[in-house]
Amino acid sequence: MALYRLSFRLRQTVAYVRPLHTSGCGQQQGALAVESETRQEPFSIFRTLENDPACQSEKHVGQYYTLPSAHIHTLFPHGLPQRYQLQVKTFNEACVMVRQPALEVISCLKKADYSKPAPRFLFYGVKGSGKTMSLCHTVHFCSTQGWLVLHIPDAHLWVKNCKELLPSSYNASRFDQPLQASNWLRNFRVTNEHFLSKIKTRQRYVWTKREFTEEGRPLGELVDQGISRVKSSSDVVGAVMKELRLQSGQPEAGFRMAVAVDGINALWGKSTIKKEDKSPVSPEELTLVYNLKKMMKNDWCGGAVITALSQTGSLYTPSSAHLPQELLGEEGFDSMDPFVPVSVSNYSEKEFESCYLYYLDRHWLQHPQTRTEEGKKELIFLSNRNPSTLERLCAFL
Amino acid sequence: MAAHTSKAFLSLGRINGPGLGFHNSLTRVTYATALSTTNSTGNKGFPDRGNRGAFVRKPRREAGEPRTEKMAVNQDWTAVYSAAAPFKPGSVPLPVRMGYPVKGGVPPEKKGNLELIKIPNFLHLTPAAIKKHCEALKPFCTEWPSALDTEATLDEHFPIKLESTDYISAGTSVRNPSARIVHLKVKLSRLNLDDHARKKMLRLVGDRYCKDTDILTIRADSCPLRQQNYEYAMYLLTVLYHESWKTESWEAERTAADMDEYSWEDSPSQKNILDTLAHMKMAGEGEGEAVREELLGRPEVQEYRDSVMRLKNEGESESSMHQYREAVKKVLNL
Repeated sequence: MALYRLSFRLRQTVAYVRPLHTSGCGQQQGALAVESETRQEPFSIFRTLENDPACQSEKHVGQYYTLPSAHIHTLFPHGLPQRYQLQVKTFNEACVMVRQPALEVISCLKKADYSKPAPRFLFYGVKGSGKTMSLCHTVHFCSTQGWLVLHIPDAHLWVKNCKELLPSSYNASRFDQPLQASNWLRNFRVTNEHFLSKIKTRQRYVWTKREFTEEGRPLGELVDQGISRVKSSSDVVGAVMKELRLQSGQPEAGFRMAVAVDGINALWGKSTIKKEDKSPVSPEELTLVYNLKKMMKNDWCGGAVITALSQTGSLYTPSSAHLPQELLGEEGFDSMDPFVPVSVSNYSEKEFESCYLYYLDRHWLQHPQTRTEEGKKELIFLSNRNPSTLERLCAFL
Repeated sequence: MAAHTSKAFLSLGRINGPGLGFHNSLTRVTYATALSTTNSTGNKGFPDRGNRGAFVRKPRREAGEPRTEKMAVNQDWTAVYSAAAPFKPGSVPLPVRMGYPVKGGVPPEKKGNLELIKIPNFLHLTPAAIKKHCEALKPFCTEWPSALDTEATLDEHFPIKLESTDYISAGTSVRNPSARIVHLKVKLSRLNLDDHARKKMLRLVGDRYCKDTDILTIRADSCPLRQQNYEYAMYLLTVLYHESWKTESWEAERTAADMDEYSWEDSPSQKNILDTLAHMKMAGEGEGEAVREELLGRPEVQEYRDSVMRLKNEGESESSMHQYREAVKKVLNL
């Protein structure tokens, strides 16, 4: 009850009066209310109307911006974390918090010189601290800027649980994974529809005795070839990557490429896939992984490589490992070197406030005690301000 | 009455009284004698064997007062127990009790207590006795040199320290096999080792070296005698020292994985950064070597090198990651 009275009093000082929205998140502290007044955002302190990542800056840190729902399916057909997808469905909107690590990378990308080799960024942090979400935020920025996005949602999926393993037609020592490759190509097509007709192949590709792709055909044809002829899909993936790599640097190409990989430590880790004689397959022997590693090198220009580590899906790594060298290993570190490591930590106090208010606003926190101060302190204590732990806790309340 | 009945049954052997249904006054008699067995003579119940000479036991003396009653409080205990002796309850003026207590009672007292006698006692080694021993030994001792008063001087003059343990126990034998073990401790900084020799020594020695205190500990216990173990330990030290100075031909086959420390020169990291800078065309015009030298000489590249070395050698931490990030940003001009 006191909350309503407080909000009534403060409402008079706010420029715009929108009673319906302010009632839900009544804890408008004095200073923040003044801030919101000057920016004329009557909705709430934790939201920002600035939905374009290019225009977001430090003063938006901790606030939620909305991803346009029409674009989510094209932008992130496979990119968002599982639980976040559920949240989007529940809340009917996709709100992403603006946080410092993503802003840092975005500002680097804004200032970077694209005639130089692609800079590489790596998000690292403890489990559940928001690495994948930061990656998705950066990818959103890249796509709003009109870049071509090569998003591999989880590289770990390529080194485990492989139902079909075929020896590669291109190189006898390697192995193909048709299912994963065709899946990825489908999602790639969804994300980058408009580029597929513009980019032309530079080389002739022969798939089988009767199938080939001529030089100068649009990339879309290549992708369709891979999706329809599942057997050669891994090689198609390799070809697509090669084409894009060669062409993005050229000044006449007119596009920039963002390679976004989550769970990049899978490329240099171990795999659980076994050959027929039960001997383990090392990641190098997989075509998809081999081609992706070539993308990771910074010998191409006109784009950026943004990656995130992930311990969650990784194989044979201890669950306490979260620092780059631990997860990448020596080989991985030497391959990625020099890269810019960006640390993603748990929520700061302001960010926690923001998240808490957002959940309150969405009526996600049903338990009456969550609205009290002690309840909030309990949440802070239990989750240690870790985003994913907080999300799981609030799911119960 | 019993005597008369026995006479009557002279010729019979052993009779089982109750079994035969006779009255209870029947006694079991194994030997029949012609003589009367009544105690008329008063000779302690023993048969009178004619006049051969009565077996007279010594008259039993009464036990006197135990010595403990007569002990003064300030007596000289070393006189009571001057050497190792079993426990004598009359000589130890302590109300000691030992043993499993009787039900609802206390452990039995010391008088006639076999438990106290069985166990070893050190009553002959009280502090007063030890003092006397020390006084007796003093004429045979020499004084500690006055110059060796601090640990530092001791370390300086006697870098090798030997440790062995002597064992005393009360038992049938004075020998203890654990007494043969010898520990030899020496600080590696006192040995004359150059860089290669030190690294080789550390590899040869393994766990025996403690990094915090810089002490190498060699434990010798394979020989049966302490002197043999001491000589073996000294031999080991000599051999280690000489071997670590030698360089074998196969040591040249060391790979990067064998190295103790990460060295940035000729590492993939150096190659990467040079390639990146070359791609960025920051080198300017020039040929091969000169360009390389120039690039390596740049301050940002040096900073980058330091941060990578720190990361690899010291391991990761927030601060080293931060340093690496700043260095990379500078080098790549982000």
